[in-house]
Amino acid sequence: MAEIKENKQADQRYWSYVRRQFRKKKTAFYSLYVVAFLACVAILAPFLANEKPLVCKYKGEMYFPVLKDIAVGFGIGQFAPQFQNVNWHELQYDFAVFPPVPYLPMNQDNNNIHSKSPLEQQNVPSKRWHHWFGTDELGRDVLAGMIHGTRIAMTVGLVSMMIAASIGILLGSLAGFLGDDNFKISRIRLWANIIFIYMGLFYAFSARSYAITDALGSSLGMGILQLILSFAIFLTVMALGNVILIPFKKIPFLGKQVTVPFDMIVSRMIEILTSIPTLFLILLIISIVRKPNLYVIMVIIGLTGWTGIARFIRAELLKIRSLEYIEAANSLGFSNYRVLLKHAIPNALSPVLISIAFGVASAILTESTLSFLGLGPADTVTWGQLLSYARQVPQAWWLAIFPGLAIFITVVVFNFIGEGLTDAMDPRLKQ
Amino acid sequence: MKPVEVKTSIETKGNNKKFSLTLSFPLFGYVVKRIFIFLPTLMAISLITFILISAAPGDPAETMLNRNSSGGEGQASDKLATDKSYQDLRSKLGLDLPVFYLSPGSMASCDTISRIAKADHREMLDRMIYNYGDWDMISKYYGNLRTFELAVLMQKKDSNTANSLIDLRNTVGKIFLQADVANIAPLIQHCSSLIITTPALSELNKPIGSLQASMDQVTGNATTWKRYIPTIHWNGIKNQYHRWLFGEAKWFGEESDPTKSRGFVRGDFGISFFSKRPVSSIIWDGLWITMLISVCLILIEYIIAVPLGVMSAVKKDSRFDRIVSTALFVLYSLPSFWIGTLAIFFLCGGDYLNIFPPFGIGDTTMEDGFLVRAGDLAYHLILPLIVASYGGLAFLSRQMRGGMLSVLRQDYIRTAYSKGLDPKKVIWKHALRNSLLPIITIFANVFPSLIGGAIILEFLFTIPGLGQITYAAVIQKDYPMILTNTMFAAILTLLGYLVADILYAVADPRISFSKK
Repeated sequence: MAEIKENKQADQRYWSYVRRQFRKKKTAFYSLYVVAFLACVAILAPFLANEKPLVCKYKGEMYFPVLKDIAVGFGIGQFAPQFQNVNWHELQYDFAVFPPVPYLPMNQDNNNIHSKSPLEQQNVPSKRWHHWFGTDELGRDVLAGMIHGTRIAMTVGLVSMMIAASIGILLGSLAGFLGDDNFKISRIRLWANIIFIYMGLFYAFSARSYAITDALGSSLGMGILQLILSFAIFLTVMALGNVILIPFKKIPFLGKQVTVPFDMIVSRMIEILTSIPTLFLILLIISIVRKPNLYVIMVIIGLTGWTGIARFIRAELLKIRSLEYIEAANSLGFSNYRVLLKHAIPNALSPVLISIAFGVASAILTESTLSFLGLGPADTVTWGQLLSYARQVPQAWWLAIFPGLAIFITVVVFNFIGEGLTDAMDPRLKQ
Repeated sequence: MKPVEVKTSIETKGNNKKFSLTLSFPLFGYVVKRIFIFLPTLMAISLITFILISAAPGDPAETMLNRNSSGGEGQASDKLATDKSYQDLRSKLGLDLPVFYLSPGSMASCDTISRIAKADHREMLDRMIYNYGDWDMISKYYGNLRTFELAVLMQKKDSNTANSLIDLRNTVGKIFLQADVANIAPLIQHCSSLIITTPALSELNKPIGSLQASMDQVTGNATTWKRYIPTIHWNGIKNQYHRWLFGEAKWFGEESDPTKSRGFVRGDFGISFFSKRPVSSIIWDGLWITMLISVCLILIEYIIAVPLGVMSAVKKDSRFDRIVSTALFVLYSLPSFWIGTLAIFFLCGGDYLNIFPPFGIGDTTMEDGFLVRAGDLAYHLILPLIVASYGGLAFLSRQMRGGMLSVLRQDYIRTAYSKGLDPKKVIWKHALRNSLLPIITIFANVFPSLIGGAIILEFLFTIPGLGQITYAAVIQKDYPMILTNTMFAAILTLLGYLVADILYAVADPRISFSKK
């Protein structure tokens, strides 16, 4: 017990040291505030920019249309008939409190089409309805688009980085820790498992292909259910197969231990993936997707972005593997996996935070690049998309400046945080 | 930033000359060896890209012919003619072949299904196999359905039969899209009742009868269990991947049939779906432009980044260093497509300044003389080069500063200073040479990002390079074009790695080619 306690204290000491170092880097520290601000904007987007009033009194009754809208989005309840298909701005309210930006990004203000500048006279009832960042060609409010775009950017950064980080950490740590000769399994198990994987995939997905696609076509819930079922089948096949193998391992020839060059395999995978320039690879995948929506884009960015993290954690673990405390753990007879999970990975993980911070920046940049190229999610308004409208309207400086600035600020603060973490965590640079 | 491990400096007079003499022959061997290491990588890349592309939805042959596949109306001869041209196009594009050497599937699945011409028919049949499992019966049913369709089309239209015939054709069209016998049976029932009520169509009695019979057999002989027996079918070298990579034409001697594909390795990249011209005739010009821009960018970036990084490392923590470091960091995070948009906005005509041309690479012809052409090209490329270079420049000089800092901390640098060497000589000769190594390794990262960045740059400034071609191909879903461009992007990247390896070896005398 005492040992564990001490361990924890040491850990706290390390993190408080990192925190102190991080605070010293002023730019990095203030960047955290900017990220918090962006996160607030992302979370509160429907309350900041919405066509519906936050609170209103209509025909003697109080309503909270924005909250109701969120509830409807989750499938709870429905709007009353008098509110369906109405122009919320033109209802005769007893009183109404609108959000700071009383527009939705997709709403077209027919009085202010053809890119109205924020500085010129706009066709609005009062200053309250002014388009502070102007409108685009179709009369959509740019500020509303930017507020809701924050949501998209933050989601993309977070989700695609989570995908990339989980793949990268898994493969990178296995490659770095197991190396080329630490992973030994019996010959029969190696060969049989390759066949089992094929069989598992066959029974789980190939033989059920139409069952899955039909279910996905009917509803998302049914589709996910079928996919879960498929995964269950896959795992069952793998488990059953490996149980059957147990007696075979007693045969000397089949039971002979062989090494799997894990590091070589993962390194080769990384090499192949990095040999195709990322944007080309992403474009190739987008070209074969029927309709790229936000989820598809996030998955694509995640699937193509894990190599950096994998390399990082692999290098870190290669270094840690030769340290004395791992040797000590090994000589105590702990299993490979215990040493890896309990002792090696926790020590290699903290530097991964750095590459995650940089990774979020580059994921956001990639998404806005795709949107700028007109290949991003088609069903939402994003920063890159807004910026791309500037190319069509040569006078609309507000379309060129504001969305670009938002992309730049987001990217630069995440990079500052990554930089700050690098300096705070790397004792080598302390001198 | 990785610390640079420099154990000892190998800086003895005269050593350099000897080194370069012994270099020449082993270097060649080293390069050959590296190329052989790259080949499997390239094969893997070709496999991945090809399999991704072959998973693309839609039927390219149909897109190329620009026709709709409904075919309710129209004369029999027209229909036969379009079917024929469609079939020919498919075999010309090699689409009637299986995709790969091996096709994994089940015992029920059919290995010759790729020969069926129409995409929606293939889908229907595939699903029928999934539902009923017996390919022999299903193919018989499909054959009977086609015979019946043809028989319907052959019937003469007159005032008595017109309505029934139109109804029949529409129903047949619907039957083709159904894979479930429960849905097919009422449609066939509908057809036979139409035929019975219209005496003029009595010729159709026989084909509808055999169609009915074969449909019953499909359900009667259903072998759904076959779906659960996994198989792997070997297709031999008659497959799309092999055809795309190595071609069908003879390797040696004259090929009698010039339309036969020669394959990617022999410079035949297929036919563009969009322009219907060979891809190879489109791609070389684009490749040249992209290469030119990339090489220019690399040169600009290194020429500016190295001195900048060295100076800010030498003057560490001075005001110069702080300003330069911050500025570079901000530049590094500045999205180039934003700066490019702003530059076009404010510098290239429009409502503001008009200094640079906003797009293209000029329209000079060969008659204009070399200097005029080069000048015009340079004038058009200045702004794109500036926009594309600052990011990599910032990245490189930050790396340079880091590398230089860790070299300056080494003992031998202190020794050099303390024995009274000229500080300039210490920095620019002793320290620089050793801190160049990491910068050269980074070349392997910078080069692919330049090739990838070409898409954005060429989109922004409408430069007809590899990136612009790829972008257009993605928009037009022109798969042979996308495939070839991706392959070339990968080949260029691998070439970049090769150059980085060679430069590294030249710069670091500790690397020997002969061993290893």
